[in-house]
Amino acid sequence: MTVMNLVTALNTGLRRALEDDRRVVIMGEDVGRLGGVFRVTDALQKDFGDTRVIDMPLAESGIVGTAFGLALRGYRPVCEIQFDGFVYPAFDQIVSQVAKIHYRTRGAASAPLTIRIPSGGGIGAVEHHSESPEAYFAHTAGLRVVYPSNPIDGFHMIRQSIAADDPVIFLEPKRRYWDTADVNTDAAPELPLHRARVARSGNDATVVAYGSMVATALDAARIAEEEGHDLEVVDLRSLSPIDFDTIEASVNKTGRLVVVHEAPSFLGVGAEIAAHVAEHCFYQLESPILRVTGFDIPYPPAKLERFHLPDADRILAALDRTLAA
Amino acid sequence: MIDNLDYPVQLIQPNGARVCRPEFDRLITDIGPDELLSLYRDLVVSRRIDTEAVALQRQGEIGLWAPMLGQEAAQVGSARALAPDDFAFTSYREHAVAYCRGVPPELLTTMWRGISHSGWDPEQFNVTNPAIVVGSQGLHATGYALGAHLDGAEIATIAYFGDGATSQGDIAEAMGFAASFRVGVVFFCQNNQWAISEPVSLQSRTPISHRAIGYGIPAIRVDGNDVLAVLAVTRSALNRAREGSGPTFIEAITCRMGPHTTSDDPSRYRADTDMSEWRSRDPLERMRLFLGRRDLLGENELSTIAAAADDVAAGLRRATIALADPPPSALFDHVYAEAHPLIDVEREEHRAYLRSMEGASS
Amino acid sequence: MSTGHEFRLPDLGEGLTSADLVEWTVGVGDTVELNQVLAQVETAKALVELPSPYVGVVRELLVEPGTTVPVGTPIIRIEEPADSPSPSDSQSPSVLVGYGPAAERPSRRRNRITPHSQTAASTERRPATPSARRAAREAGIDLSEITGSGFDGAVTAADVADALRVKAASNEAPRPAGSGIQKQPVSSGMRKQMASAMVASTRAPQASVFLTADVTPSMELLGRLRPSDAFTGLSLTPLTLAAKALVTAISSHPMVNAHWDEARGDAVIDDHVNLGIAVASERGLSVPNIKSAETLSLVQLARAVTELTVAARAGVTDVHHLTGGTVTITNVGVFGVDGGIPLLNPGEAVILCLGTVSERPWVIERKIEARSVATLTLTFDHRILDGEQAARFLSFVAQMLADPDLLLSHL
Repeated sequence: MTVMNLVTALNTGLRRALEDDRRVVIMGEDVGRLGGVFRVTDALQKDFGDTRVIDMPLAESGIVGTAFGLALRGYRPVCEIQFDGFVYPAFDQIVSQVAKIHYRTRGAASAPLTIRIPSGGGIGAVEHHSESPEAYFAHTAGLRVVYPSNPIDGFHMIRQSIAADDPVIFLEPKRRYWDTADVNTDAAPELPLHRARVARSGNDATVVAYGSMVATALDAARIAEEEGHDLEVVDLRSLSPIDFDTIEASVNKTGRLVVVHEAPSFLGVGAEIAAHVAEHCFYQLESPILRVTGFDIPYPPAKLERFHLPDADRILAALDRTLAA
Repeated sequence: MIDNLDYPVQLIQPNGARVCRPEFDRLITDIGPDELLSLYRDLVVSRRIDTEAVALQRQGEIGLWAPMLGQEAAQVGSARALAPDDFAFTSYREHAVAYCRGVPPELLTTMWRGISHSGWDPEQFNVTNPAIVVGSQGLHATGYALGAHLDGAEIATIAYFGDGATSQGDIAEAMGFAASFRVGVVFFCQNNQWAISEPVSLQSRTPISHRAIGYGIPAIRVDGNDVLAVLAVTRSALNRAREGSGPTFIEAITCRMGPHTTSDDPSRYRADTDMSEWRSRDPLERMRLFLGRRDLLGENELSTIAAAADDVAAGLRRATIALADPPPSALFDHVYAEAHPLIDVEREEHRAYLRSMEGASS
Repeated sequence: MSTGHEFRLPDLGEGLTSADLVEWTVGVGDTVELNQVLAQVETAKALVELPSPYVGVVRELLVEPGTTVPVGTPIIRIEEPADSPSPSDSQSPSVLVGYGPAAERPSRRRNRITPHSQTAASTERRPATPSARRAAREAGIDLSEITGSGFDGAVTAADVADALRVKAASNEAPRPAGSGIQKQPVSSGMRKQMASAMVASTRAPQASVFLTADVTPSMELLGRLRPSDAFTGLSLTPLTLAAKALVTAISSHPMVNAHWDEARGDAVIDDHVNLGIAVASERGLSVPNIKSAETLSLVQLARAVTELTVAARAGVTDVHHLTGGTVTITNVGVFGVDGGIPLLNPGEAVILCLGTVSERPWVIERKIEARSVATLTLTFDHRILDGEQAARFLSFVAQMLADPDLLLSHL
């Protein structure tokens, strides 16, 4: 067991993946010598060489398209898109090719790519560095989408994603890169890649969150406990597929649901969860399903982002509404 | 047409000696002692803006800065070639271009301080705000130039980008389209040798200017650290654009002497010793030596210019620190040009939420 | 008077939460200029020099070299000379742009809406519609006390309303002293439905005719048919035959299969005979109907009656069968009752009631014999049918039951 932050956990997971399977190649801008702008690929090129960890020219579409070609040749590419706001040039390669190839060829060809994208805000950044593009990808059939919230999940989920035979969009909550946890890198993963985790058990209401918002939800739960309310916090972990069994079991127990995400609410992941739970847990609901999310605006400048991002107060305000309904 | 692909145009050597190139000299016959001093002053002031901004970042007054240290001549030389009605599209590092276009220094840091996503109205200064997405501005410039062409306006459009950007599909498309439509855009590529940690050799196996030839765009390489050469070459390209001869590609050879941004650590990918060659080609030093040889830079001139730089830096600092935080309601302003029901609902909900939090205790 | 400013460690690189102070390059008592390098710090990304934001004299170094410092921590105090303009107030809340992800605002307790006092969350949750939950909560009734008549046994708002009515009724009735026993209110949506249907029925002016007939041949026919393969597993009773007779009779008396149209002020004949069967169950009365009964053979009719009866008793009748009926038959005979005067199913022109079939003395050719006798009653909507029409119709139905050969010839 070692205390490590999410960056180190991902780095260690990538290292293991490179060791375990020589078809794995890491590719992206500045991933080699620099070790990545967040140092997630630190020292990997030094140890594995520049044909396993490949510095790429400045073109996201080029990176994903080339990775796709490598995959057809039998490799397992792990692409890094440097920041969430820069994935859009690669969007066509992802949805038109990577997502569709298995279906198009009736299983003859597949694209076992992992596309890592540091995502989300809360870091005081300039434009295009704080996006939440997960819904675009979760909405696309053929892609799997996962979003670890902490170092332990980071370590296991990156390896599981690389090992998956389907393409995986692997979102990393850059705001939580420096959070630490005790990680046992010799242990087997406790959960399958697409299973949600009850991060905190409770009876009064279910809060479903993912990525950086899991920590925020847990903060809210701590405060709620002082006020005499017992929240159950579910870390979604996987956005496609979504583990509805875990969510349903929780909502059937508590009767109340609040979904939290940074991404805007209109047509976000929360909308899918709300629709599903309304249909499947209708007779167990005590109050309407609520969503606490970013607003339906372009991500705001750094000085305004604290009003935009859900925080403990806004989650607690939703809790008040759901308990009073 | 002047085109010199393999030997970058140079009019001042690093030691300050003037190089005579008649075909370029004739483009700068109007540059006398006053103009030379003015160019030098712009070089000094823009470097000072840059270093002050880096300090402000280290002091927590702005969140990020992309230093242009070492690229002053490429930016000042080209920006000073622009006519008032010409329009400039930039990336995120063209602080000297913005300054030369008349953007008050205090507006340069608005965006980096997180107050808003832009510091000024582009139409007021005919220069865009810093653009973060690499390469997208190439197409924008092509489109703008096409618009000017359709309007019959005799202006030039210039697009600034780096060597890294030339790997992006958008730049390839911009050049192809510009050539197809024969629009008056100058593609000004500052090849500063680095795209964060990636050397230019990763982006291209040929001189970058050769790519333009493939599109049928005349191209020229210039010593980007020579402000006079940049001025001359850019004037030539802008003239072509204005007279309807179509696009030109300029590759200004320079070096990004500092980090990619204040979040970057260049020691991880380049040795300090690699930089010594470039230090000897410093654009300010070169110009200083050149002016010195012509006895144009006495104590008086030096102190005036130093005072001007101090002044600008102090003003930049004061104004940056004084920038007021936007009110929370600004979240919802200008998402759309016309009213939108979802925005109205959320604005009101947020207002009600903030009201509900008034007077709440910790 | 001079002031001391504290310089707090900024977020130096887009979301960093801390930095290590490597070394100080100034000491206490040193005079520093604006932007003079104060220290070297190491972040997760780079080794960085910190330039002084202030002009003045270093008064205190607040952090030891080698320490990890969270973003926002004051690291040095510098005293500015009296005459210098202070660049920024060190106490202002968000001097730091990149204030770091760790520096989330401390939570403010919002002005809270006091939630309703809730009953303790039971480990077993009763399924209920949202409207039922609200209704129960507002009325102060525990959901677990209410029988649910909705999907999958969910409690509906109607169920809650019933429970409230019973509760109100039991509250009003004076309880005898010392009784101490609270009757369990048995409420159901079905009762409510029955009640409202019966009230609606009274809107039609109704009259009844009845006839007692010797149905011995029908009973003999039933006795012969029951063992046959065609009727295996099916319930074949006097009701089945009576239903068949009723439906058959309608084909020559179409006015019987009509409804009163208020808007038109006249009767409208329905195309199909959707025969309602009154079914009694623990849950209450329901009247599912068999669609287009005129197209069914006796076997099919028997099957349909059997299936609908079973479904109705289990409470799982398809909604489709609970609406659109055009005539109804009810069998009070199974309870041993001689007959009854049924009330019309609202919207229908007739309802036929079958009494018990029992052995009675009957006169045949002036001699008295024991015969199987039953009484049939027909209640009719007097806006649609007159007494003669009703009488003739009932007579015809009874004749077919008295002589099944007649039924056969009218098929």
